[in-house]
Amino acid sequence: MTDSPLRLLLEFDAQAQRDRSQPPTFLHRRDRKFALICEKQGTTPDANRWLTHLNRLSGPRATPASTDRTLRAWRRITGGFAAIGVIAGMLTMAGLLFYDGGLRINITVLLAFVVLHLALALFTTLQSLAGWQPWRWLIRRFGADPGNGVFKKLHPVLMARAAHLGGITFAIAGLITLLVMVVIQDLAFGWSTTLETAATSYHRLIDAIATPWGWLWPAATPDLALIEATRFFRAGDPGESPDPALWGQWWPFVTMLWATWVLLPRAFLWLLASAQTRQKARRLLASHPAMHALMYRMETPALDTGNDHHDADDLPDTEARNNLLPLPESDTLLCWAGAGEPELPAALQSGKQLIVRAGGRASLADDDRALNRIAEHLGTRAGAVILLVRCWEPPTGELQDFLESARGTWPNGSRIALVPLAADSNREPDAPRLQPWLRFAERVGREFVQVSLPPFQRRDPYIPVGDQS
Amino acid sequence: MIQAPTFAVVGHPNKGKSSVVATLSQNDAIAIALEPGTTRKRQAYPLKVDGQTLYTLIDTPGFQRPRRVLEWLEAHSVSASDHADTVGAFVTQHQGDGRFTDECELLTPLLDGAGIIYVVDGSVPYSTEHEAEMTILRWTGRPSLALINSIGADDYSDTWQAALGQFFQVVRRFDAVRAPFDQHLSLLRAFGQLEPDWEAPLEQATHYLSGQRQQRRRQAATLIARALEDMMSFQEKRTLTANQASETSDGSLADQLRQHWYRHQRKREQSLRVDIEHLYQHQRIRRQEAELQWHSEHDLFSEDSRNAWAVSKRYLATAGFGAGAVSGAGIDALTFGSSLGTGALVGGLIGAAGSYFYGDRLALPALSIGVLRDGLKTATFGPVQDSQFGYVVLGRAVDHWWHISHRNHAGRDLLDLEPADHHWLESLGKTSRQDIQRAFDKCRKRRPLDERQREKFTSAIEQAMAVYDDWRLNRT
Repeated sequence: MTDSPLRLLLEFDAQAQRDRSQPPTFLHRRDRKFALICEKQGTTPDANRWLTHLNRLSGPRATPASTDRTLRAWRRITGGFAAIGVIAGMLTMAGLLFYDGGLRINITVLLAFVVLHLALALFTTLQSLAGWQPWRWLIRRFGADPGNGVFKKLHPVLMARAAHLGGITFAIAGLITLLVMVVIQDLAFGWSTTLETAATSYHRLIDAIATPWGWLWPAATPDLALIEATRFFRAGDPGESPDPALWGQWWPFVTMLWATWVLLPRAFLWLLASAQTRQKARRLLASHPAMHALMYRMETPALDTGNDHHDADDLPDTEARNNLLPLPESDTLLCWAGAGEPELPAALQSGKQLIVRAGGRASLADDDRALNRIAEHLGTRAGAVILLVRCWEPPTGELQDFLESARGTWPNGSRIALVPLAADSNREPDAPRLQPWLRFAERVGREFVQVSLPPFQRRDPYIPVGDQS
Repeated sequence: MIQAPTFAVVGHPNKGKSSVVATLSQNDAIAIALEPGTTRKRQAYPLKVDGQTLYTLIDTPGFQRPRRVLEWLEAHSVSASDHADTVGAFVTQHQGDGRFTDECELLTPLLDGAGIIYVVDGSVPYSTEHEAEMTILRWTGRPSLALINSIGADDYSDTWQAALGQFFQVVRRFDAVRAPFDQHLSLLRAFGQLEPDWEAPLEQATHYLSGQRQQRRRQAATLIARALEDMMSFQEKRTLTANQASETSDGSLADQLRQHWYRHQRKREQSLRVDIEHLYQHQRIRRQEAELQWHSEHDLFSEDSRNAWAVSKRYLATAGFGAGAVSGAGIDALTFGSSLGTGALVGGLIGAAGSYFYGDRLALPALSIGVLRDGLKTATFGPVQDSQFGYVVLGRAVDHWWHISHRNHAGRDLLDLEPADHHWLESLGKTSRQDIQRAFDKCRKRRPLDERQREKFTSAIEQAMAVYDDWRLNRT
């Protein structure tokens, strides 16, 4: 990962866009884990480390990232400006220094051009500070916008940087052209203006302009004599000059004028735009909404509530292949684990010669005694025994053990009719409560256990509940 | 370092032990069935913060032979002081021999130091038959809490409470399927009261769980905002060559576009729902409405949906943002009667669809069929120009979020999203209304929201969720 704030912002933004499609729980887990790793290593988690961490885990990239594409597009734009600057610089300087042996090259025109250029450079900077983007079409055309809001805010400064770089190449190309022409041609500089200006006033102006380099290269500051000697008028006689060599003595001034008032301001503004780009990119990164979310995820502990284990598909076989069968005739009633308490339904009680209780509060010895009593009652005949159970208490291992013992103790061919009772014994149990009993009977063995419902007394709706008997 | 507390959830078969664990561990993939033996082995569900366990819940099978176990224990014990050791000896004796598999599974964590969470069903009558297992649990000497769950509709919890009080330090009522989130936290705090060392981790756990819930609400608002942004700005586009254009009538082209647009919007709404469900760790919710595009109660574009979730014109006016609100109401009024349709095509469309799909009223401003140019013809449908669509989506999303955020993980019922009978958004603050309306307006003009607007939009939706929550609370 580079330290370039611009690349960092773009990479971060691209990652934030990708994260939008990720589940929030995953993002939280991932980023909290990263924060904990940083804590262990004693480092402060920041965007750069975070992206490096993510990229390292994903391995080398196969296709260029959108960041590379955007930066490449901006490099193309900047390169374009630089190339145009070179060509324009050469052409402009060649135009400004055009001299066919007739009129002199007017220093006043050169000064005016430098002022215009300075004004344009300042305007570019001001426009970037104001956020005005007359170049937007160009950005779109070159695909230099990754299509998100954050990076858009950098467009004005990036454009200003590109324009200033173009300005620098313009100035350098112009300077080189000037020097080449000074060497290969005899250039005749002079000054001319319609205004009624004395040579002394013009000298003061030139002196002021040359202040920055006056101490460095005194020859590049024309003296009053040169200024007086090189004034020309279009209507005057071009051959009036006392010494043609004087016309060429202006070139050091022109060179320094160009270098100081065209090249240097551009370079300074370019540096300013570059610093601004970096600073703005850092600021945008720090205030990026995804950065707030990331910091929150890194600061907040990741909570795992214990939902790793999945066994919902591993349900027991809940399909009942057994059906309810009619209640058989029997004179023996066995109440299991408190079923039929506090009062046995009359329909079940009638005609019963033996009623015994087992399970629940009874001891295991009591269970054995109950089994033996029923065995004695049955004698050698294979009969049916009605076993009352509470439908809401599911069949347990204890009942299964009890039934296994009964099968071994009672005469062969004996059967048990399991009768599940609802909390209100006069009502039919709910179907879901019956299902486990049907499956239980199947497990124990259909030849020995069946499930039946008790006979229900239909209540006469016209008689109050208390009056029924 | 103090070992994190462990709680073994024990009890008779089919009393809701797994339901309690599912709700507290927010795990809807725990097998729950009205069948003894659904839980065959003990299973630990640790709550971890940054990988560090704060407490562990252990789901266990139910007692199968408590009387036989108690008889064994009594036969091998001399005095009360050896009770815990005798239980340990019982497990050692019977581990892996197949006779007391379930008892060994449920007693082992207790011997390892777990607290007892004894679960009973308060919807069935109390019976003294449970005393054998309660006695065994008392023999372990572990801190204990009894939980009265409610599986059925009847209520016998008072008798249970009185009886359980004789065996357990603390008795609490907790409906694993319906208990609100505050009760989950309060129950966890009660677990912490069982031992002095357990209080701090449980307090910490409730603090984190509470924070997670807040965070989820914000995340849900972000998901809803994103979906709304997508749906409000979505455009279905079709480009036809001259040949294709000559073969397809404008009517059928418009119809195809409309159908695709509807399908896409329904799909996006469904994906939002899945995202919200996953956010709340609901991975297995069954929703019938996803399948029922024809079902007037559940479809995104049904008249019922509009009646339930669209806002009033007065609301739109007070949403305050001139153009959007007025155009929303204006288009609504304009397209309400199909007779005002400017072209036979649109009129026909509206007429054909009848009044079932309110979405067809949106067809007029959303449909655009271009002329043949350079051998190509472009037709588009959307983005929807009526803000009401946004409010319908918002209402449905917030309603779904509410059901999901209040649904316990023990719940296995079909998710039923009943329509509202009064418009809750009316109590939303003016700033939030404006933020929502502004976002809708930008989306329908297909202008992307910048991050600041997105932030405001999300906050407004979060506010709407709070308003809805409040409205639901006062309603029931």
